Amino acid sequence: MIRRRFPWLSYLVVVTGAVLTVVPFLDMVMTSFKGAGEAGTLPYRFLPEAFDLSNYRAAIDQLDLPVLFRNSVIATAVITGSVLLTSSLAGYALAKLRFPGRNLIFRLVLSTMMFPPFLFFIPHFLILVHWPLAGGNDLFGRGGAGLTVSIAALAMPFLVNGFGIFLMRQFMVSIPDEVLEAARIDGAGEFAVWWRIVVPQTRPVVLTLGLLTFVHAWNEYIWALLISTANPDVMTLPVGIQLLQDYVDPTRTMPIVMAGLVLSILPVLIVFLLLQKYYIRGMMLSGLK
Amino acid sequence: MVNALTTATTERAAPRTRSAGPTVDRRARARRRQVVVAYLFLAPALLFFAVFLILPLGFALLLAMSRWAGFDLGDIQLLGTDNFTGLFADGSTFLAPILTNTLLFALGTVVLALVGSVVVATCIDNLRFQGLWRTLYFLPIVTTVVAVGNVWKYMYEPGGLVNGVLNALGLSSVAFLQDPDTALPSVVVVHAWASVGSAILVLTAGLKSIPESYYEAAALDGAGPVTVFWKITLPLLRPSLLLVCITQFISGLQSFALIIVMTAGGPGDATNVAALEMYRQAFSYGHWGPASAAAFVLFMVVLLVTLVQLWIFRRKGEDA
Repeated sequence: MIRRRFPWLSYLVVVTGAVLTVVPFLDMVMTSFKGAGEAGTLPYRFLPEAFDLSNYRAAIDQLDLPVLFRNSVIATAVITGSVLLTSSLAGYALAKLRFPGRNLIFRLVLSTMMFPPFLFFIPHFLILVHWPLAGGNDLFGRGGAGLTVSIAALAMPFLVNGFGIFLMRQFMVSIPDEVLEAARIDGAGEFAVWWRIVVPQTRPVVLTLGLLTFVHAWNEYIWALLISTANPDVMTLPVGIQLLQDYVDPTRTMPIVMAGLVLSILPVLIVFLLLQKYYIRGMMLSGLK
Repeated sequence: MVNALTTATTERAAPRTRSAGPTVDRRARARRRQVVVAYLFLAPALLFFAVFLILPLGFALLLAMSRWAGFDLGDIQLLGTDNFTGLFADGSTFLAPILTNTLLFALGTVVLALVGSVVVATCIDNLRFQGLWRTLYFLPIVTTVVAVGNVWKYMYEPGGLVNGVLNALGLSSVAFLQDPDTALPSVVVVHAWASVGSAILVLTAGLKSIPESYYEAAALDGAGPVTVFWKITLPLLRPSLLLVCITQFISGLQSFALIIVMTAGGPGDATNVAALEMYRQAFSYGHWGPASAAAFVLFMVVLLVTLVQLWIFRRKGEDA
């Protein structure tokens, strides 16, 4: 191999970079074990004096991690399930069914990807505030807090994803029409064709899209921050750990926060490490987010 | 996000085998049923786009051109372009430092992430276990911004890791996030650190597509590794480099979650960026009109960069 010259230099660079990447994570874990007066004091020490789990207990109690965890799980599950279902259904229609307006709708789906998320924070929030007949609102969306105080608000703006539809459609186009036609001749309705033939064939892309959506939803911060400010009961993990750090034992705020963060990123890290092949393919397809 | 538009969307007109016969009537019925089913399948998505895409865009545009104190939607007062001119009026902080910070933040991130990812990706290409290395570099991307921001904020503190290393080297401590001169570069470093993994992903794929025969030919001609890098690797990597540049630039223009966590825009306006200013004007002060106007100005900047990207890639496509 001609390219494989100076492997030691390459190793040096790659290992140095990897250390720089991993060290903040290690610092987070180490800090999560440090006791009162051990973190943030001079001189800096990397290792804790003892690997004490009391910060983890404090994080669970003082940050109320179980509740935060529950909210994060609900929001993430609803978003991921909805994105997969709606993307698969719409993708199938756009790839395999013939109907007037198909190209127009496909173009609409493509154009949705053009709009950056920050454009929607204000109108989405105001639309949920003024949602008719919810949260004390009248028919014209006046009088109450609308849907912003409900846990549904965490998920609502993310229930459908244009990129997800696009991804599914691109994948489904390559399913041979003959297979679908054969099922139809056997008397299967379109729903049965979708559920029995198309869904099983799209498992890899379902996994990819599901993983991308899961990681994104679990880590979502800005929108959840807005909704949690209106109603602390629906706070998610990232928001809770950020906002509640002023309320934990001040002599070891950082260790408790770090313990909470370690627990909150573990689910994503485990899923990512197990299914990274699918995640990385998704990142390639979405062209770097 | 945007790149998905440029990937092949060509659709092969699927020819359908059609057998003429007495079943024509049944087929016509089946086709009609397909139209109904198609719209049923599309209904959830279309409904969603109507409520959460088209309605919000219209509403945001209306707000950007209005004065509104919140609460009753009937009180919206149409102003025209006043909110936009207000952003660029004398004494407004929007153009400088906020929009300037936004561009510096995006530019700084691109430069750091690009240099880092080119160096690391070319080196990874020489090694075994490429998947393992890529996974390691990818960890920050699947980590919530709250974790990334808090860890780095803590590492930048006087008793944190970064200053600990500086002190060990005999240098004095730096108040990274408190000093207005160092705050923005410090946040840029973190954002670049967090996004370098996806750049490496794109570049390693680009490197794989360079034919080995080019390197063999260069070796026959006696070219050294530095010459090979400048004359072969970099030019042939140009499409991937361009993709990394533009997508990172766009994401840098819009991102503000990291800044909220680390500095909340401070000290002063030292790390305030356009998206954060929009967020605060709206949700802290209830200035819905100016905030929406700021959002559209930033959107125009992003759109401009996107169009440049499309234009460059389309021209590339014609060359090939």
